[in-house]
Amino acid sequence: CTKDFEEVNVNPNAPAIVPLDYLLSQSALLLAGSAGDPGYKSWRANFIYAGCIMQQMASVEVGFYRGTVYTFQGDLSAAYFESSYPNSIKNLVNLIDLASKDAKDVNVLSMARILRVVETSFLTDLYGDVPYSEAGKGFISKINSPKYDPQQAIYMDMLKELDEASKAFNPASYKPTTADFVYGGDLDKWKRGANSLMLRIAMRMQKADATNAQAWAKKAIDAGIMASNDDSFTIKMDKTGAGNNSNANSWNLGAGRKIADGNNIQWAKTFIDMMKARKDPRLPVVAALKNGDRSVDKQIGIPSGTDATTLTSLPEKNLDNYSRAAPNMYVLSNPYFIMTYAESQLLKAEAIERGWATGDAKAAFEAGQVAAILQLNAYGGTLTDADAKAYSAANPYPSGTLDAKLEAIQTENWLINGSVLNHMEAWADWRRTGFPKLVPVNYPGNETNGQIPRRLRYPQSEVGVNENITEAITRQGGDTFMTKIWWDK
Amino acid sequence: QEMAVTGKVSEEGGGEVAGVNVVVKGTNRGTTTNDKGEFSIQAEKGKVLIFSFIGYNSKEVTINASILDVSLTPEATALNEVVVTALGIKKEKKALGYAVSEIKGEELTVARTPNMANSLAGKVAGLNITGTATGPAGSTRITLRGNGSISGNNQPLIVVDGIPINNENLGQAGMWGGADQGDGISSLNPDEIENISVLKGATAAALYGSRASNGAILVTTKGGKMEKGIGLEVNSNYLAEDLLIKEFKDYQYEYGMGNNGLKPTTVNEALTSNSWGTRLDGSNVIQFDGVSRPYSAQRDNLSKFYQIGSTFTNSVAFSGAAATSTYRFSMNNMDNKGVMPNNTLHRNNFALNVNSNLGKKLSILTNIKYVYEKTKNRPRLSDSPGNANYAIYSLASSMDVETFRDTKYDAAGNEKVWSDNVYVTNPYFAAYDFQNNDQKNRVIGAIEPKFDILDWLFVKGRIGIDYFNYRYRAIEPYGTAYKVLGSYTSNQREFMERNMDLMLGIDKKFGDKFGFNLLLGGNQMRNVNRLTNLGGNNFNIPFFYDISNIDPAARTSSENYIERRINSLYGSGEFSFNNYLFVTATARNDWFSTLASGYNSILYPSVGASFVVSEAIQMPAAINYFKVRSSWAQAGGATDPYKLLLTYALSGAHNGAPLAQINNTEIPNSLLQPLTSTTFEAGLEARLFNNRLSADIAYYSRKTTNDIVNATVSYTSGYNAAVFNVGEISNKGIELLLNFEALRKNSFTWNASFNMAYNKSEVINLYNDLQTLRVDENRTRTAYVHQDVGLPYSQVKGFDFKRDDQGRVVYDAQGYPLQGNLMSYGSGVSPWTLGFTNSFRYKGVGLSFLVDGKFGGKIFSGTNALGYRRGNLEETLPGRDGGLIGEGVNENGEANTVRVEAQPYYDRIANNIATPFVYSSDFIKLRQVIIDYAIPSKYLGSKSPFKAISVSLTGRNLWIIHKKTPNIDPESNYNNSNAQGLEFYSAPPTRSMGVNLNLKF
Repeated sequence: CTKDFEEVNVNPNAPAIVPLDYLLSQSALLLAGSAGDPGYKSWRANFIYAGCIMQQMASVEVGFYRGTVYTFQGDLSAAYFESSYPNSIKNLVNLIDLASKDAKDVNVLSMARILRVVETSFLTDLYGDVPYSEAGKGFISKINSPKYDPQQAIYMDMLKELDEASKAFNPASYKPTTADFVYGGDLDKWKRGANSLMLRIAMRMQKADATNAQAWAKKAIDAGIMASNDDSFTIKMDKTGAGNNSNANSWNLGAGRKIADGNNIQWAKTFIDMMKARKDPRLPVVAALKNGDRSVDKQIGIPSGTDATTLTSLPEKNLDNYSRAAPNMYVLSNPYFIMTYAESQLLKAEAIERGWATGDAKAAFEAGQVAAILQLNAYGGTLTDADAKAYSAANPYPSGTLDAKLEAIQTENWLINGSVLNHMEAWADWRRTGFPKLVPVNYPGNETNGQIPRRLRYPQSEVGVNENITEAITRQGGDTFMTKIWWDK
Repeated sequence: QEMAVTGKVSEEGGGEVAGVNVVVKGTNRGTTTNDKGEFSIQAEKGKVLIFSFIGYNSKEVTINASILDVSLTPEATALNEVVVTALGIKKEKKALGYAVSEIKGEELTVARTPNMANSLAGKVAGLNITGTATGPAGSTRITLRGNGSISGNNQPLIVVDGIPINNENLGQAGMWGGADQGDGISSLNPDEIENISVLKGATAAALYGSRASNGAILVTTKGGKMEKGIGLEVNSNYLAEDLLIKEFKDYQYEYGMGNNGLKPTTVNEALTSNSWGTRLDGSNVIQFDGVSRPYSAQRDNLSKFYQIGSTFTNSVAFSGAAATSTYRFSMNNMDNKGVMPNNTLHRNNFALNVNSNLGKKLSILTNIKYVYEKTKNRPRLSDSPGNANYAIYSLASSMDVETFRDTKYDAAGNEKVWSDNVYVTNPYFAAYDFQNNDQKNRVIGAIEPKFDILDWLFVKGRIGIDYFNYRYRAIEPYGTAYKVLGSYTSNQREFMERNMDLMLGIDKKFGDKFGFNLLLGGNQMRNVNRLTNLGGNNFNIPFFYDISNIDPAARTSSENYIERRINSLYGSGEFSFNNYLFVTATARNDWFSTLASGYNSILYPSVGASFVVSEAIQMPAAINYFKVRSSWAQAGGATDPYKLLLTYALSGAHNGAPLAQINNTEIPNSLLQPLTSTTFEAGLEARLFNNRLSADIAYYSRKTTNDIVNATVSYTSGYNAAVFNVGEISNKGIELLLNFEALRKNSFTWNASFNMAYNKSEVINLYNDLQTLRVDENRTRTAYVHQDVGLPYSQVKGFDFKRDDQGRVVYDAQGYPLQGNLMSYGSGVSPWTLGFTNSFRYKGVGLSFLVDGKFGGKIFSGTNALGYRRGNLEETLPGRDGGLIGEGVNENGEANTVRVEAQPYYDRIANNIATPFVYSSDFIKLRQVIIDYAIPSKYLGSKSPFKAISVSLTGRNLWIIHKKTPNIDPESNYNNSNAQGLEFYSAPPTRSMGVNLNLKF
């Protein structure tokens, strides 16, 4: 009477096989940090650290928004790492494994490979050397303690993956449509998206490996990057309020945690001042006072490093009168931005200036500026071409040194990534280029000797569980906020 | 013909005994012996007198003369002491090759705790009770002879009247918080319990199969007795419960709320729970609600917030006999109010036992129990969300907790934000606005027919069911600071376990010398859980709490059906020779549904022998009884269902596209094999010096191989844990039980009982060449529990200071200490446990007290770590004025000379280093004091309806005589998992005092 035992031990509530589309769709949401614990990594990595470190956001609650003052708290620093691997990475690695078994699934496979590159690039840019080649393979390959790959190797492989995946798209094979939250099954957009990511990743290597950076940047541009704001790489969200379906940044700023609606986090003075100085038409779209006032002259940002005490010595003592993300910025269905068309144009401008690509750098820069302004309409703006052109005219492309041009390009990048809440990307750009110039704060007890952090610290939980971390720490020269990762050297 | 019967009662071979109850059987007529042991009573010739007295075996004597001298034998000397063993078989203790300890029902009812399992603490050598600091309806961790499994179940099987019952935790707090939802043993009614038999090793439990590989606790409830009329017993009990530690003795009250050495001057600055302000000066300082209050020490927050808990328990039982049946019916009502405001527990127990003899050969034993439990607002524990304890333990030194009661809401009716961390919930909001309610209906029943085919051959069947329906509803209210739109959770769980046994028994004597008995049987176990979950975030209409008020698209729902089965065949044979040599052998084969075919069967044997030396050979006069015993046994074990395959969870849809992700958070493993636990034990029992001293000593060695482990693996593998068979864990130990009759003079007796156990555990090897496995992590993210090869079970680990070769602390260039290596501090499980009971009795009055202790363990206190960060601890006083220079060296090996501010210095330590917060968890506690008085039956008079009246006063957990943990109780684990040695904002420890009244009619 043990005959039916195997049947008894089959979980009736969880299937062993599901359509690959289901896995693709969920993986994208896990990447965007909405499924599971909504906003876990968005809050900690994107806002508390990256956004505040970049002086786009600031908070007087420096004991919690530690990026404002460069202090460490284990679970805040570890969040992206600890959330990514057991969620998006695990499911993407599994999906890649399943989709590679049948040639008809090649489009799903390519999408999954590209999404895995996206998540990996966030991870490695935040921490440096991270598990990659063996990551997420606890079941598939029985690897419990993945090795930490050197960032250089990760970068080379991500480029190869983007190249292979974008080339492998086959219009004759099955195309996911509703399950594709990025481009709805438009394979051409996928190719341009992948090539743009390739350009971003290539440019990131500029300091560390100019030769390869050049080769891959050229390859990306030649293969065709994004052509309009419609091509921007985003993950489409829904507005139901369910943790699964919401934009993770919106969930934190608004409905879920209300950190912007309260007085938790506001725009930083650096960000607001920059927009004001440049007469940026996005300012009334992104910022409002507590009472909803969006008038430009009323907008003020909190000086980074201000705490509740030093706030009392500022001219404005009432937090309600400081700018915070306006409600349209945290509508739950706002798309989750991975990469904008604007950024791809700005990177192209840089590549041209470096002689890595041919074309008109100024035109690319201006196309980026205009796209950046209009992109904000995705977050409830009503900006027009005229607004964009006026902005471009007010902030013309400089002539002169490469540095001056680079500063102009990266300032635009910093503004666009700040205004679509992609602070992690802004931080990476800043680390590579040093632009825009930021004045660090020197708060008591900071971990960086008053310098802007260059990375996050690894999860303490890895020590004692994965001995490979020791090698990675040694290779990178320590596990501190100031340890420079490979491409930042 | 009535006549006066007089006589004297004495102890066998000893002096006279005072206070003995003398009752004419079948009547209410009785008396007690006087100081000289003499009595006088009116009775008819031919009637029977019953002589009874605590500590002696009752004796019945037929009246055949007017003078009657009687001698009583002390209870302990009962050579034919019978104990309940596996499958409910009663055996003479002397025949057993293993250690069994018994606890009488009265011991549980007289000194009652709201949670019955806690009252076992300190009473049995080798039985380790760890009450989680979770309040009255919480769970307990029970282990016998150490922990055999790394991450599997380590608790013994709980068997009630032959039926294994579900004792699993219905939910507990983890690193990120949660509440203890209680377990199975806590819902038993102590008044129903006749005795508890603790079978300590796999030996004793071989016949219960895999789930008893950690031993078994057999609970036998009271049945009816063959007596005239209806016996009525009424018991009333009142317990008051209060905080054991009412003030934070190791907090600082010199500096007040604030940051960076400043007082708050604005509301924004006052949004903090830190005590890094200025010296307290009594001035008016603004607080989170905009009101200014004196800047002065608030030491009474604990007693202001927590209340006096109370528990009323009333029970009534009828018992008697009718024709060929005996019966007992009991009812019980308990109402408990916890020390946490708004936390209550209500319980009703009903039990019926009927034993019917249907003709000469057939008897049927039926028992059924129904339990209803209703709990309101179980306290949340560990991490801060909704955990009132957390807020209380975190308040700044100048913050009066009652302010939070008065300013709970903001203008919109939401929780008013009071600190920079919205996750620390206002304690009154947590206690009164959060909901965490559950109800459980439980039925435990068994029918046990026995048919005697011949006088030495019987067939017995048993069908037993443990069934419960559990409903749980939790609300994070609308307006909660950290989840503004709130959340709704509603779970329903239906549990059923059915055990069917069929046994054939032979019990035969061959001549005078040889005895033989054999038992062959089979068991089918089916265990089913059905779970329905409903919930979601974000209520649409404020403050209305129903699933209909959650956006339909945002609702989550799931169903789970979880089934496991075990089929078993077993046999047991016992040979006896001359009543002094006994040999028992058992074998059992289990087939598990949770393992793959080919790996799912395991046969495990046991053999044991007992030799009563004192019966076989002439021993010196001082030795009254001497027995040696030894046994060897194996037990197998399996795992939970569905651990073999990868499956997917369907998780709704998004923009019209269905979603699915990998369901497993543990790496499944289809090659799992059963684990094996092997125990060797040897022991001796002796009674010496006229039975005044008795000793029971045991040595055991227990080894678990092929343990099935859920081992924490790197997140980067994609999973939190991997399931696999790992190496070997060893537990060796000794147990000692001594009973000493210190004094027996006239009417005064003094008995002392001492038990002690030492368990040495070692993780011999793990998986392949793996040296360490993580079991759990503290919320501070700096301390963990590991299993390390070569070290004892459950190592508390954490980050040390970075140190140079000479052990000096290394500071960075800015003067802050650096994080060093992960180090092991020691085991979170105390290897030494002891209990010492002294009982004094003078006539009808008794006094006893129990002192118990545990030694050799470690605990990490997350509460103290965060107390450091907040500047609440006394230890954070140095450096407040003008900063401090940490003692040690810089990274170049030169003395550190950099002066730093106090707040960032202590913040840095709390966030990076565990060492300052790891303590020895040694303790000695005055666990229990009982004063009892039984009104002598002579005062009741022959007309009285009462057969007996007794009153007792009890106190539990009265005093921590010794501990090394500042602020916290060393017994403060927040859950009863295998990760022992981590503390984080548990419920505060309590003490209780009560009065118990027992009436027998």
